[in-house]
Amino acid sequence: MFGKKTLEQLVAELRNDKQVTYWHEIPEEEAKTASMPTEIDSKIIHALKQRKIDNLYTHQKSAYTSVMRGENVVAVTPTASGKTLCYNLPVLQKHMNNPSSRALYIFPTKALAQDQKAELNEIIDEMEVEMNSYTYDGDTPASIRQVVRKAGHVVITNPDMLHAAILPHHTKWISLFENLETVVVDELHTYRGVFGSHVANVIRRLKRICAYYGSKPTFICTSATIANPKELSSELIGEHVQLIDNNGAPKGKKNFVFYNPPIVHKQLNIRKNSTKVVNEIASKFLKEKIQTIVFARSRVRVEIILSHLQELVKHEINKQSIRGYRGGYLPKQRREIERSLRSGDTIGVVSTNALELGVDIGQLQVCVMNGYPGSIASSWQQAGRAGRRQDESLVIMVATSSPLDQYLFQHPEFFFGGSPETARINKNNLIILVDHLKCAAYELPFKRGETFDGHEVEEILEYLTEERVLYENNQRWYWMNAAFPAHNISLRSAAQENVVIIDQSVREKHVVIGEMDTFSAMTLLHDEAIYLHEGTQYQVEYLDWDEKKAFVREVDVEYFTDANLAVNLKVLEIDKKRPMGNHEIQYGDVMVTAMATIFKKIKLETFDNIGSGPIHLPEQELHSNGIAVTFAEEVFEGKNDDHVEQVLMGLAHVLQHVSCVHVMCDQKDLHAVPEVKAIHSQRPTVFLYDRYPGGIGLSECLFDQIEEILQDALAYVSKCPCSDGCPSCVGIGGSDAGQQVKKWVVNLLNESVGGKNSGMLN
Amino acid sequence: MSMKSKLLRMKNHLQLDDATETSLVSKVVKIDKSTLEESFEELGFEPFYFDGERSYRKRLIYPYESAKDKETLRVMGEMRSLWEQEGLSDHPLSFKNRKLDQLLFFDTETTGLSTGAGNVIFLIGYARLREEGIEVTQHLLENPSNEAAFLSGFLEDFSEDDYLISYNGKSFDWPQVKSRHAFIRKELPKLPSFGHIDLLHCARRLWKHELPSCRLAIVEEYKLNMKRIDDIPGSMAPILYFEYLHEKDPHHLAGIIKHNDQDVRSLVYLYQEICMRLFQWKDKPTSPMEHYYIADWFEKLSEYKWAEIHYKLAIETMNKPFSQGYFRLGKLTKKLGDKEGARSYFIEALNQHSLPSLEVWIELAKLAEHEEKNVYKAYNYAKSGYSQWKKQTNMHSVSLKTAKHITDLNKRLNRLEKKLEIKEGGYESGENGGLL
Repeated sequence: MFGKKTLEQLVAELRNDKQVTYWHEIPEEEAKTASMPTEIDSKIIHALKQRKIDNLYTHQKSAYTSVMRGENVVAVTPTASGKTLCYNLPVLQKHMNNPSSRALYIFPTKALAQDQKAELNEIIDEMEVEMNSYTYDGDTPASIRQVVRKAGHVVITNPDMLHAAILPHHTKWISLFENLETVVVDELHTYRGVFGSHVANVIRRLKRICAYYGSKPTFICTSATIANPKELSSELIGEHVQLIDNNGAPKGKKNFVFYNPPIVHKQLNIRKNSTKVVNEIASKFLKEKIQTIVFARSRVRVEIILSHLQELVKHEINKQSIRGYRGGYLPKQRREIERSLRSGDTIGVVSTNALELGVDIGQLQVCVMNGYPGSIASSWQQAGRAGRRQDESLVIMVATSSPLDQYLFQHPEFFFGGSPETARINKNNLIILVDHLKCAAYELPFKRGETFDGHEVEEILEYLTEERVLYENNQRWYWMNAAFPAHNISLRSAAQENVVIIDQSVREKHVVIGEMDTFSAMTLLHDEAIYLHEGTQYQVEYLDWDEKKAFVREVDVEYFTDANLAVNLKVLEIDKKRPMGNHEIQYGDVMVTAMATIFKKIKLETFDNIGSGPIHLPEQELHSNGIAVTFAEEVFEGKNDDHVEQVLMGLAHVLQHVSCVHVMCDQKDLHAVPEVKAIHSQRPTVFLYDRYPGGIGLSECLFDQIEEILQDALAYVSKCPCSDGCPSCVGIGGSDAGQQVKKWVVNLLNESVGGKNSGMLN
Repeated sequence: MSMKSKLLRMKNHLQLDDATETSLVSKVVKIDKSTLEESFEELGFEPFYFDGERSYRKRLIYPYESAKDKETLRVMGEMRSLWEQEGLSDHPLSFKNRKLDQLLFFDTETTGLSTGAGNVIFLIGYARLREEGIEVTQHLLENPSNEAAFLSGFLEDFSEDDYLISYNGKSFDWPQVKSRHAFIRKELPKLPSFGHIDLLHCARRLWKHELPSCRLAIVEEYKLNMKRIDDIPGSMAPILYFEYLHEKDPHHLAGIIKHNDQDVRSLVYLYQEICMRLFQWKDKPTSPMEHYYIADWFEKLSEYKWAEIHYKLAIETMNKPFSQGYFRLGKLTKKLGDKEGARSYFIEALNQHSLPSLEVWIELAKLAEHEEKNVYKAYNYAKSGYSQWKKQTNMHSVSLKTAKHITDLNKRLNRLEKKLEIKEGGYESGENGGLL
């Protein structure tokens, strides 16, 4: 045969592959270093020398200098650029300056906290000083919790623990709060949307407790590349923040390749299954023993790809050299996989986004992504897994047929250029704010005139007093309620109350297999619904709406169910509006009511309707923020309501996806509703609203960018290679008028952005 | 849109506890300060001041009149000398060498059941044994902004040498006091660390298996023969306090004040009840199972002499077969070095039950193998245990404990079988050797 191929040869081959739609080359960069600050304690210098660190990279030094000046910083650092030293160095030096100083590290997950503790403790051991760092989370045994509270110089925890276990019990943590000098917020970019809004309020509470005990800590944040790290971090911690982005770590040359699988069905624009393509690509590299990581979007997908890959390369390499890595593996097993990746014993790894965060697995040569991970930040995090400091590396993103992926592949400049995406939070969302004000009042009474980290809250406190949650006396509001508020408030759930899905296939052994927000549950978990979970069919036997439990049983049937949701959208108040050509765009408060009415049973292969049934669930209400894109009626002249509805539905479909990319949110955070005759304006309208009570700021952002979004939607639909509309663009109209929906949507968009003033959609 | 209307609109999304929305809001009666003071006086409370803050305090003496009270005083005095004389000063019930009036029978009422920073103590009560009677002192928090006065009243009333006796105070009341103290630690003296006896732990030792629960009210009813009339349960305390705050009417608290007063006095009697069962059972009817659990408790504390006494009392007073009692006494006797005595108790444990605990067989097999050096006998014990289990399996699902015993028996059987084979084999080969 031809012998082994090198990475360079394979890259060259790939350049000729016609499915590669875009090739982006990132040139190599030399290390930029700076000398160690002179005041650093000799013990720290010694410990760093043991780890072969003589100099600092430029960004590490900037971070250190700023922090020691008392400035809050956010360090934007790609994977493997030595970000931990950005915070460990100042924390260690502060300890040498003042041994009673304390630090709090906040990581989004427990696994990361464990990693960091190990790394920090190694340095401390080499320094030979009396400094204790502990993790404090749900796994911390009760017996050592007291030690952590009293004597932990560095306490490593997560936002949920801070919220429900540390802050409400601050009287047990007095020595921590009295001496808290540094708070580290790692993986800042994960704190966005609802979760971020909650965490921002937890930090408000933390600062309030610190102030009470007389400390004012400096915040050190680290973030993956997002558009607005400075804005996000100052929003999250409520302080001015210094941006550190002079990354000085060396980089090898990196190739970033977009790979769109070939179309196998022209009319419906169906492409070859991306998983198959990923398997083919990854196996090429694995066969040559080139270390490769494959990212898949779900746990099941990980297992499928893993078994295929092991099969495909069984003649070339040992099956054990390819491993899976995902949530659900035991910590010990994960550590073992991480080790063998670093040592090179493991050649391939298939992972969910679990490996996106800063777990140390060393650097691999090739990264293959099965589909766009959903955000640009995630993509770069995953891409960062490939790329050693000297050698060339390769990242291949394989598109799925989803509109989001296809949109992105049409707009690589959107991905690589200066992106308009931002991570946003809305910490003053009324629901979230009220939740945390209750927790804050539980922790410490509010004084009249006191703000919540600068935010006026007296009206809310008065309201809570009327509701008999607080009690006002002598210019102070006291918590006067038997409840423990933090227990009822979860930082991570999008809707406050989720429906728990319980599998009762095995008698006496019921298992919780998942949960779902109440809105979705109405159409997906009603009685008799067929619910798909990781590829298995379940039938809902009983939905206990009051208890929010759905009892399901595994079945094997040849149909799926499709429920009708009657959504009604009412505009309560318009806060902002402006004209857009003949049309108008409005932003304000909306009330969405939704009621599931009936469901249909649809045969899997033929899509025949084989039965139906009623759904008896109460109407759901959601108060939120939204925008209304209100069209002038003239553009629809000559169309009957049915056709208008088709067009608006198609438009809503594409707008929802394009909007999600623009505001960098999860698909389910934003929802689009078309209405032929909106109640408030009597005109054809497409609404987009935040899918969380009170809104999280997405719609407001859409309002500002709507022209660009429509422009992009237009470009996207026009370029979609399907002939008459497909699930990737305007969805399948499915009915008689289906053939023209795509054309109409294009015309309508064109008209809206002022391209063609045809007036008519024909 | 105004914040107010936004809040009202969002009301369904805000998690507000319906239970707090009582209909009583409408009839708020404004009572001025002097009438508030008068109302407190009607309840027996006197105001006192600290740093310009006001708090209320009540002190009441219940003279020793009944025979029960006089008995209490006698027993408490005897207990005091017992802790020292018997070398039991580390016993969980021991208050060491403290004088009787240094004991503080202690209980609090709070605004919630959690132990976090927002849970406020509004009533602290304690009973002391004074010469003239049981003295009950109660401190009441007039409102949350007077917490320093409230706690100072309590703190200055006792000294570092006092000894706390509580019911669940180790995990609830005292940490709560510490938490409240932390808020005003700069205005108040340091909180001393007291000796602390938690009677809940003791009650659980004796009665966990017998009573439906070890809540104080239940223990009172079944063990102190006290049935409370019109008692307000402690769980009502938060709601009643909120009512008081909103209506400024201290009479809402009358029930909970009475409840707390009863609680602290009950602790005096309960302490005595438990001690008598441990040391003065002749004067206090003690059931066989109580003796058994007391023995078990002493054994765990390594007080073997007392354990032995109570095991024997349990067996003596039990008027039906009591295999488990003999078994435990056997184990203890073995631990104390009397192998022969232990063996006879184990045999008795066998005789007392058609299906004795598997452990009895195991113990007998052990003794046979290691003490009597009779492998064959040991094998038979183990075998009997094993086949008994075989018979039993239809009736019981296997618990973790049983599973452990079965594995033990299995291993034992295998080992003993090998031993026997060697012996028998040796015998046979010897015989064969002879023949050849």
